[in-house]
Amino acid sequence: MSLSPALRRGLGLTPALTIFGLFFALPMAYLLVVTFWRIKRYRLTPDFTLSNYADVFGDYLHALGFTLVIALVIALITTALAFAIAYLIRFRSGLFGQIILLSALATLFGGYLVKIYAWKAMLGAQGSVNLLLINLGLIDEPISWLLYSPAAVVITLVHFMLPFALLPILAGLRGVSEAPLEAARDLGAKPWQITRDIVLPQCRGSLFSAFSLAFLIPAGDYVTPRLVGGPETFMVGNFIENLFVGRMNAPMGAALAFTTLLACGIVLVTAHWLLGRALTPKWGR
Amino acid sequence: MAAKAQAAWTAFGAAVLVFMLSPLVLVVFFSLAENANATFPPGGATLHWYGVLFDNADFWKALGNSAIVTLSVGLVSMIAGTLAAMALARSGPKLANGVIALITLPIMLPPLVLALALATGYSSLGLPLGLSTVIPSHLVFTQPFVILVVYAQMAGFNMAIVDSARDLGAGSWTIFRTVILPIIRPTLIGATLMAMAVSLDDFIITYFTIGGGMTLPTMIWGMLRKALDPSINALGSLVLVATIGTSLIALRLTRYRG
Repeated sequence: MSLSPALRRGLGLTPALTIFGLFFALPMAYLLVVTFWRIKRYRLTPDFTLSNYADVFGDYLHALGFTLVIALVIALITTALAFAIAYLIRFRSGLFGQIILLSALATLFGGYLVKIYAWKAMLGAQGSVNLLLINLGLIDEPISWLLYSPAAVVITLVHFMLPFALLPILAGLRGVSEAPLEAARDLGAKPWQITRDIVLPQCRGSLFSAFSLAFLIPAGDYVTPRLVGGPETFMVGNFIENLFVGRMNAPMGAALAFTTLLACGIVLVTAHWLLGRALTPKWGR
Repeated sequence: MAAKAQAAWTAFGAAVLVFMLSPLVLVVFFSLAENANATFPPGGATLHWYGVLFDNADFWKALGNSAIVTLSVGLVSMIAGTLAAMALARSGPKLANGVIALITLPIMLPPLVLALALATGYSSLGLPLGLSTVIPSHLVFTQPFVILVVYAQMAGFNMAIVDSARDLGAGSWTIFRTVILPIIRPTLIGATLMAMAVSLDDFIITYFTIGGGMTLPTMIWGMLRKALDPSINALGSLVLVATIGTSLIALRLTRYRG
């Protein structure tokens, strides 16, 4: 029995593509269709209405804007920090570089909920961060806004996303070849000039991957704002979850979810364009 | 000047390490401390909270469910992911990159959206929620890890030895079992362990697709929502040890270094 190579490839891909189709593509397409439906007597009823989107634009635009700003802050801090760490690992190879890399890899897949509640414990008035700052004599009284605030959400999600952002950037930095760096150094370029004109432009792609992930996951998170954000920090994920679970209004929740994804897409396209402009290689001029 | 810069980088590295690890270290630390509020001073060392956890019938139920889900998801991800990675390794890079971009989409999007899409789909089909709905829901975001890692190894695979085996008359299955598998086995096991760690730690997708049941992460969520339960640190530590331990073994086997 001999199968043609093309058929053999097709058969090999079948299980994975079936799982993808049945449990990702199909449910996502169905959820998109549901955004045009409505709820009648607590039941999903097929329809073709844009009223869910109209309600989303009427009621949730503020929450969406707030969420995008927080996610943007998280993505910027995470990407910058991850670049600095990757730079340390790649070019400084100091004592801590390899330990940091190992820690990032080991904690990448573990403890989403544990990390969030650990920060909840650490940032509270009795928490270890305030205790440390008091013992160091930096503050007299516990800082009350560390927990149940947007700052707590930012700290927690930067911590969670950091390993995910570090790995693509490090891969990008490893692809930067040594020769142009040495040439620039021999010609008297300062380290920051080399970084700006040679290193950063060459890892544009991986910077964008890291930024995208560090933006998208926080933009749709609802657990972190729920646990450490306090009553003032409602992000769009909280509203989506509440629409589905609390108010049993799947069509409106779905419309809000897709509007959020679309808004995130627009932010990412803009970020990609800006990054391209800012990091155009300078040596051609 | 150079020494000063190096000292600044070392200080930065130390600060990053403290930032990354201190939350996890503190959870384990307080799981072994007498102070029920998990604040300083910690009091003496004790295994009391682990005892409380092990006396809780819910813990054993959650552990059983987590074990069933994690093992099933690991097995199916390994088979589906490896078959796909091998098929992609024999395709052109254009097709391979396209399929990989598509199939990794579920790990790029916020899990809440996929969780709600799955929950809405299951409820419209009238499917009863339980472990049988959790397992396929996990596969969609665990198989990309297997595909990515195994494909990366297969891309550098020396296909000449496969051709030699075929010229000598070996069938496809014999070639896989005696030539390909021995070479990729560590990578395969490592990639499967990564998929299992991701599955074991998942909270959001599980929460929306399990119905009334419980896994270890959804049990943590339940404890967080009730009044202070100090054994949560013991449970959190066990989840951390399981996922980090699995990841470390996986890293060793796959020689993955970022």
